[in-house]
Amino acid sequence: MKRALAAVIGLALTLSGTAFASTVEGGKEEDFDPSHEWLLHDWIPIHLGPINLSITKAVAYLILASLLTMLLGWFLMRWRLGTDPGNRQTAGEWIYEIAQTQVAEQGLPTKSIARWFPYVASLLIFVFVVNLIGFIPLPLSDEKFELFGVELPTLGIYAATSTLSVTLTLALLTFVFTHVEGIRHNGVAGYFKSWIPDVPKPMYPLIVPLEILGQFMRLISLSVRLYANMLAGHMLILTFIGLIFVLENVFLAVVAVPFAWAFYLFEILIVVGIQAYIFAALTAIYIGSAIEPEH
Amino acid sequence: MTFAAMVFAAAEDGVDAGKAVALALGIGLGALGAGVGIGNIFGSMIQAVARQPELRGELTGIQWLGFALTEAVVFYGLIGGLLAFVLV
Repeated sequence: MKRALAAVIGLALTLSGTAFASTVEGGKEEDFDPSHEWLLHDWIPIHLGPINLSITKAVAYLILASLLTMLLGWFLMRWRLGTDPGNRQTAGEWIYEIAQTQVAEQGLPTKSIARWFPYVASLLIFVFVVNLIGFIPLPLSDEKFELFGVELPTLGIYAATSTLSVTLTLALLTFVFTHVEGIRHNGVAGYFKSWIPDVPKPMYPLIVPLEILGQFMRLISLSVRLYANMLAGHMLILTFIGLIFVLENVFLAVVAVPFAWAFYLFEILIVVGIQAYIFAALTAIYIGSAIEPEH
Repeated sequence: MTFAAMVFAAAEDGVDAGKAVALALGIGLGALGAGVGIGNIFGSMIQAVARQPELRGELTGIQWLGFALTEAVVFYGLIGGLLAFVLV
């Protein structure tokens, strides 16, 4: 029964893909370009001098994700807790345990877990939710289609984390917290001295610039890792579906759609969770290594 | 078509070809390195668990951390290739 259901859903999705292809072949409007998916148009323009704070697609996704994150935390971990946990509470406890044992305790020293656990855990859940709703088709996109005379936005998948500015902001938060905590616990001189590794004095001119560069490379690697992972995931799916339109052949759907499906499953089952975990774990490790330098 | 026009057309094609090569090289070389690295990580994980199965829980976290750090190398290549593709 379940298999039959899966087959029917798969067939329906595949057929809808071919239906789209045929309409595009009929009334061709513009050339297909995957990068158009990442253009951000101002939906509600808000300009403060030179700063553009407009509500765009990414901002809409971020707002939705933060609401969902709060709701998820409240629903799984605050609402009607008892001594005889059901499935919902078990799931909440499982998430909490991962955040504590796998993320916070891996990187943070025991004395500062109480202070930094909330940040690290909410980062874990928030990045996970942002990534995940990026793979659920939502009616949040720039393109419109007409249904019974009403203009509706087309369903689209887009992750806010596939925009560099979003991940860079998250990485900047971690970067600032790392150095503030390092200075607060070790003093200014003590903290910056801890950057310099144990090497003979003549090596300093070579090592010190590298270490300083390394601190800034953390910022880049932390943000680009998440950004590029989500971008590449979406682009792979889009490119496989897009092959049908670029080569203008409906029968390609037989090959392209299953491949797109495979990548979709890979993304939601593995990449989404791992990237959220990595982001939170590296944040914990960076903050922890600033609080308690190795020497 | 005059000779000059042909040369210009060829040069235009050359730029496009160069962009494509840059993108492909970025992804390809990045994937090469990351493939070796990821294989190494999972191979070592299998060996470690085969020797000391009771450490599996502790090792899993380290394994995924190493996996993600290595896998990111592909994407640095990809971003470099995309930059070459878009900016040039």
